Amino acid sequence: MSKSRSSSLSTHAANLSSKTGANQSKFFKTFGDDIWKNKIEKVNAELFIMTYGVIVQQLCQDFNNDYMKINENLFSMGYNIGVRLIEDFLARTALPRCPNMIMTSEVITKVAFKVFLNITPVVDNWSSNKDTFSLILVENPLAEFVDLPHDAKKQLWYSNIICGVLKGALEMVQLDCDIGFVSDVLRGDASTEIRVKLNKILKDEIPLGED
Amino acid sequence: MPHQQRYNNGSMTNNEAIERQRQYEMFQESLPKVNKILFQMILNEIIPLSVRIENQLTQGNEFQNDTKLDTLGDSSFDKASDLDNITKLKDLSINAKANSETHLGNISSPDDVLIYKLSQSVDENENKYNNILKRIRDIGIKIGTKLVNLLIFTNNINLNFKEMDLLLIMKFICRDVWKHVFGKQIDNLKTNHRGTFYLTDLEYPLLQSFCIETNTIPSQLNEEFILNKESKLVEPFLELPVGIIKGVLLSLGYPLDEVICLATFIDKPKERIKNSFPKGISFHVQITKSFLPQQQKQ
Repeated sequence: MSKSRSSSLSTHAANLSSKTGANQSKFFKTFGDDIWKNKIEKVNAELFIMTYGVIVQQLCQDFNNDYMKINENLFSMGYNIGVRLIEDFLARTALPRCPNMIMTSEVITKVAFKVFLNITPVVDNWSSNKDTFSLILVENPLAEFVDLPHDAKKQLWYSNIICGVLKGALEMVQLDCDIGFVSDVLRGDASTEIRVKLNKILKDEIPLGED
Repeated sequence: MPHQQRYNNGSMTNNEAIERQRQYEMFQESLPKVNKILFQMILNEIIPLSVRIENQLTQGNEFQNDTKLDTLGDSSFDKASDLDNITKLKDLSINAKANSETHLGNISSPDDVLIYKLSQSVDENENKYNNILKRIRDIGIKIGTKLVNLLIFTNNINLNFKEMDLLLIMKFICRDVWKHVFGKQIDNLKTNHRGTFYLTDLEYPLLQSFCIETNTIPSQLNEEFILNKESKLVEPFLELPVGIIKGVLLSLGYPLDEVICLATFIDKPKERIKNSFPKGISFHVQITKSFLPQQQKQ
């Protein structure tokens, strides 16, 4: 039942580029909600939070609180997840290629974040040429119950894995982007903000051994 | 699950118990959730992460040896894959793509290269290999101890930590711990009632998406060879559940040095092999300390 419904949603998605902004945004909202409700196996968020906490803790211990290195490692961990996660995402959503970054941002927030973390960040701060935007994480399941020690507040991007995941996933759909945190409530900032900047659109490459 | 009896019987009538069980399940359902695939990917990513940490930590010390290995893997993935008879651990379809792309990205070497190199380094650098396994286990232990805290403070009627003996603790691991972390229960639990337990999981979930890339294997090699190679590649991934088991036992009063926990591959029934990882996992848990006072009385 849910299968036929989602396939009709996907055909619907194919015609999306013709839609106007408000309509499109509404569509992705229901689309993402629907997938989250019907097609996703879930685990307890606390378990997830705790596991991530253990990983960060282990990194702090191993690198003796060298937060630059920790940020880097969280990022590359995310990157490796991102390049695989996109496969699952595309298989589940069957969304077409996004014609512009505006639609990309809609898909990232209303579908991708919804489907994987059950949150919907707010898109904001568009650059004038529409290739750079910010994701404001109103909620952040990774950082729930987290309190950083004083010295970490200046340097550690606790949820840096998210940037890595975005980087890896977007690269797999030919979008070469710079992604990084600019502020985090854990550091005492007013909001948690990730900046996404499109560098270039990569050429389609067919991997070896695949026709 | 073969064990019909739950942890807590007596005091409640059947209907009451069912009702409370239902309420507990509803409560669990209502808790915030995230995507299971994402969670499992993070768990699996702990292994390459541990390799990466070890590489970075040793780079300063054993500069020559390690950087040689590293640049090999990083810049020329193709060369690495030509080395002797290749079996690479592959996460289904996406990796071929991932490899060609990471050349561009140049952020870090892909996971499967790290794991592949890890399996090579078993012989070359035992010390390093053991460090990596230990790190994975440590992470597992931390997850295990915290998990117990998480599970204790639920209103699960089936848990009663006050009267738990070792067997009940093992059952707790088989059912609740496994169910929470891996989404399924352990398939079989065996014990000699003297502190030795065998926990069998025929389809340990984190391995099920692995498969070996057959077109890189020369066809003259036999199946057994492939299986051996594959097992070697997968071994580090088993340290995580081992750590979790030890962590749970630690927080329930069995110190790490009194618990032996080993994971081994076992054959599984032929009809279950299809489309999944070809081996089951058996966890051998042994409590070495002169043993539980409660059980000695019996």
